[in-house]
Amino acid sequence: MALALTTTFTKSTVKFLEERLLLLTISCGPVRNKSKQNPKPRLRNPTWFTQKHRVSSDDNVTLENKEFLKEVVQDRYFNVDNEISKDLASNVIWRPGLQRTGVMARKIGIYPMWLKTGKKISTTLLQVLDNHVIKYYPPEDYDPQVKRVGRIYNRKGCLLLGAEGADPSTFTREYCGLFKDSGVIPKRHLARFFVSPDAVLPAGTLISALHFQAGNYVDVRGLTIDRGFQGVMKRHGFKGMPASHGVTKTHRRGGNIGGGGEKGRVWPGTKMPGHMGNRYRILRGLKIWRINTKYNVLFVSGQNIPGATNSIVYIYDTKLPARKPAEPLPFPTYIGTGEELSENIFDKEIHEFSEPTIVYSDKN
Amino acid sequence: MFNKSALLRISSLLSQPASKNFHLSSTCNEIRKLARLRVVDNSEIGKRAMAEGKPPRCIHVYNKTEVGLIGDRVLVAIKGEKKKAILVGLKQNQKPKVPKFDSNNIVLIDDSGTPLGTRIHVPIPTILRTILKERTHAKGADYTKLLGIASKFV
Amino acid sequence: MLSTTPRLALSRQLKNFRRFATATTTPAEQPVKDKSDTRKNVLEYRQIYPEFLPDPKIEFRNPIREKLERSDMIARRANVDIPEFYVGSVLAVTSADRHSPGKLHRFVGICIKREGCGLRANFLLRNVIDHQGVEILYDMYDPTIKGIEVLRLEKRLDNELLYLRDALPEYSTFDSNMEIEILPEGAPVPVNEIKVKLKPRPWLDRWERKNLKGVQDLELPQRFYDRAKELETPWEKYDLMKQYMRTVPEEEQVEIFSEVQTHLHRSGAAQKLKRKRTFVKPTKLA
Repeated sequence: MALALTTTFTKSTVKFLEERLLLLTISCGPVRNKSKQNPKPRLRNPTWFTQKHRVSSDDNVTLENKEFLKEVVQDRYFNVDNEISKDLASNVIWRPGLQRTGVMARKIGIYPMWLKTGKKISTTLLQVLDNHVIKYYPPEDYDPQVKRVGRIYNRKGCLLLGAEGADPSTFTREYCGLFKDSGVIPKRHLARFFVSPDAVLPAGTLISALHFQAGNYVDVRGLTIDRGFQGVMKRHGFKGMPASHGVTKTHRRGGNIGGGGEKGRVWPGTKMPGHMGNRYRILRGLKIWRINTKYNVLFVSGQNIPGATNSIVYIYDTKLPARKPAEPLPFPTYIGTGEELSENIFDKEIHEFSEPTIVYSDKN
Repeated sequence: MFNKSALLRISSLLSQPASKNFHLSSTCNEIRKLARLRVVDNSEIGKRAMAEGKPPRCIHVYNKTEVGLIGDRVLVAIKGEKKKAILVGLKQNQKPKVPKFDSNNIVLIDDSGTPLGTRIHVPIPTILRTILKERTHAKGADYTKLLGIASKFV
Repeated sequence: MLSTTPRLALSRQLKNFRRFATATTTPAEQPVKDKSDTRKNVLEYRQIYPEFLPDPKIEFRNPIREKLERSDMIARRANVDIPEFYVGSVLAVTSADRHSPGKLHRFVGICIKREGCGLRANFLLRNVIDHQGVEILYDMYDPTIKGIEVLRLEKRLDNELLYLRDALPEYSTFDSNMEIEILPEGAPVPVNEIKVKLKPRPWLDRWERKNLKGVQDLELPQRFYDRAKELETPWEKYDLMKQYMRTVPEEEQVEIFSEVQTHLHRSGAAQKLKRKRTFVKPTKLA
């Protein structure tokens, strides 16, 4: 007991000191507009960043014991009915200011679909994984890496989601401990999503593809394909230089990178060779054309979603003001009403493959 | 240096009109400036130009990209004269369901959009109906007159 | 000048592998009877429905995407009869066209190329109309396509007939009112062994480097064949890894086509296929 008290005491004091020091760093900086300047981010990992994978060692576990371990996993995670989603329904109806959680999905490929007008569009298939809520950090508890100065309106809480359950014996004890309160099987992928305090979901809630609706727009974030160190032609689409006519040793080079005199230096942001890809990019305002409820797949417009096929992407409700939904969204998430849903939900502009051939009349 | 058959071939080439069998530039599937075109209507000037083996050259494309697409208006140099024409068939790869032709076809028109000939002797794509209708405005030139002299649509 | 055959033999180059062409080499030992039956079925089906096999490139593959794509293809096939045809067959495609006065458009031509897998599958038809070569590309699963008729079902010696663009026009001229030629029952798909005569150069491609079987002697100077010989890659056919990377494993093919078979039987598309071949032919040539 005493030990616990001391630890909490030390923690709080450290926090207090940290804040003090932070303020100090702000006040003594030789910068103008210091009230608008955000402090430097502290290099610190979120609390759920622990050692994830166990060092695989041959423990000489007998076959029987392996079976037993499997049984334990089964009993612990699957044979328990943790019905949490019953008290999910909230009285709050979605309005544009409220932010719902996003989901983790897997980009599984691209294929064309046709509109009722006969136009061909290409769609990317995003399979929404088994997203479970792991933990919720209320706005006052969540300690962001980058602190903002000044008053913050509409503070958001932080929802920690896990996706793709895996064999717990491959993970470390600390990592498995993260999932203890939610009662879900340890997941391969974790991600945080900022939500309005009204949109909070209890730990253990499953979020399906029906969290989104066909016809609405989403933003998709993903890690672009790593292309390594590349030249300017590939990285920035420069034109290069001629192949002949006396040009020597300068066929794929960028050329001049700046002037002399007063501007006699390399300006920040000059496009030069460097590492390409392997960075998070967001593609905004993608329409959901179709939802497959059997496999939890969203068909989203575009074929340029960041990341390779079979990579993880994050899907959010769109931030673009012109593409906000007209109807209220399922809030805080979709709750099954018990009735059978059709396997595919289409946007009304899409020509379904099971529909008869398109016929044009004189009117259109 | 040359064997007999090669000499024969060269002599046969020389007897033909110069542009018939070999090109000095590589096949340009895009209609840009100086692209050679084929007149497919029966206008006098067009017929003579094609018969003499001096096909017209595009000297301007009336659009922003300067690459002619189907239904675009071009200015051509034909028999020492400047004439306007409409592209009615392209060699370039087209979208699905739009025909692609073996030659770059044009129909000569005047400033009001009236074709110089009275008949087009190759098929023209049906999509031209929509394109030319969209390009025609109430006070400007009427390009849809071209559709009237077409013999076949494809 | 050299005689034709050794020169052609010199210019012979390794063809690009077609997905189903590679797997036709059957292993020496025969498995149990019903297994061999399913394998035979697979061999037949991948000729008839090559687009049901996914892109073999491993980084693009995903079982769920492939399953969804297949179910969409089958759903489309329930509404339109997409028959068996090959490169070299003469087809007539009727499609909805908003630009035509009747809102329908029909095009007859020889299929010179067929590519793409899944819903992206497409084919290229070529015909010469009023001495003007015309080609139209069709997406096979485009919902505006009302019907595809096979006027003449046959194969050619090559996997792509793009050289018809450089051939004399009579080789790609087909009457638009051509009647359907129907094969007798149970007959295998005939292979048309016609050798096409090309126009003199310039050509759209260096055909002497393509190892074409369906063209007559190209009548080129020897240096063209020498260069083609230099560029050919005869070792590729022994590159097992390359072949493996370019093929869908046969076990997966069996799985895919057994699924396709059950679904197509349910929708009745396969029966249609059978019926079409049973009539006895009238002979009318274009």
